Amino acid sequence: MATQAIAARPSQSLARRALGLIPGLLLLAAVGFAGKFIEQSIAAYTKAHHTTFPNIEYVLWAIVIGLVIANTVGVPRLFEAGVATYEFWLKAGIVLLGSRFLLGDVLHLGGISLALVAIALTLSLTFMHLLGRAFKLKPKLTSLLAVGSSICGVSAIIAAKPSIEADDEDASYAIAAILALGAISLFTFPLIGHSLHLSDKAYGLWSGLAVDNTAEATAAGALYSDAAGKVAVLAKTSRNALIGFIVLGYAIYWSSRGQAQAVGNKAAFLWQKFPKFILGFLLISLLATVGFFTKPQLTSLANLSRWAFLLTFAGVGLRTNLRELGKQGWKPFAVGAIGEVFVAILTLGLVYGADLYLHL
Amino acid sequence: MSATDPKPSRRISLDVYAVALALTLALLVRLNLIPPIKW
Repeated sequence: MATQAIAARPSQSLARRALGLIPGLLLLAAVGFAGKFIEQSIAAYTKAHHTTFPNIEYVLWAIVIGLVIANTVGVPRLFEAGVATYEFWLKAGIVLLGSRFLLGDVLHLGGISLALVAIALTLSLTFMHLLGRAFKLKPKLTSLLAVGSSICGVSAIIAAKPSIEADDEDASYAIAAILALGAISLFTFPLIGHSLHLSDKAYGLWSGLAVDNTAEATAAGALYSDAAGKVAVLAKTSRNALIGFIVLGYAIYWSSRGQAQAVGNKAAFLWQKFPKFILGFLLISLLATVGFFTKPQLTSLANLSRWAFLLTFAGVGLRTNLRELGKQGWKPFAVGAIGEVFVAILTLGLVYGADLYLHL
Repeated sequence: MSATDPKPSRRISLDVYAVALALTLALLVRLNLIPPIKW
């Protein structure tokens, strides 16, 4: 979405487009910083007055403030382009987060994640198609919902739409359903994780495998704990890495039925769909592993990543318009919701199994 | 249906800009060209 917003008016000069981002960027920073300020103020107050109050992370405050603004006064048009950059900050933040992982950990946890993703994907894609058929949804809308709920939400839907030649209406239904479900997951996952007493690693892995959008998965992990947030990003990144293969599978399926163009160069197709920020994440992790950075420098990089995520979490709240989400039909939402519950239960079972046999 | 390759796109993806920014920041930190970042 941020890509579309940034590249929406190619005729505008680069400087003018950059200037157009400033109001929204300032809004992201103000909302994110307000969240951080509230968290710190509450912590300082409770410490000074020797009272106890549950620690609510800045993540939640930033999202809630964003949600309140977006759904009361609304986000004025002037701010939209800058607010849409939240996805850019998410990706930059993930690359910088690579500094907090040793490459061995990435390969260990990433490998487990990939294996679990492969099992979950196979089962959830099959389930979503059966569900779409039962609810009599259009087949391409079902494909988009399946891709969105199984891999990585909105990015996967945007990647799949042209490849399977789905129409705009189907794509917007699927995106709206996935965004609504992402917002719900954000608040329910930490509650479920706490009630099941999941460890940071197990919870992080679960939210990375089950929550749709990368921004929401990162936020759902960070809401649990800092360590869980780290693992959630790694698991979600492993999931994102498979986006090209799934979209390619759908493109081949729909072209075999004569309803989409055939894919010529499959390697080029996979490279085009591959999320390049994963390579940046691996590079930074490799540099951190070989001792390219000193300890204080690693701390600085981790903090830069936190600042980038602060802007992301503000954007998650600001771009969630509950009224818009309510305008879509109930069927895509119902199919998405049932599919999400299925994916959540399935991945929770897989995480328990991995914890038991592979010792996370 | 004719076989088509992915459309050649001149537009650089958002990912590439994000990676470029992150690597630049990492290099600036490594060379101590920016002060320590606090949270």
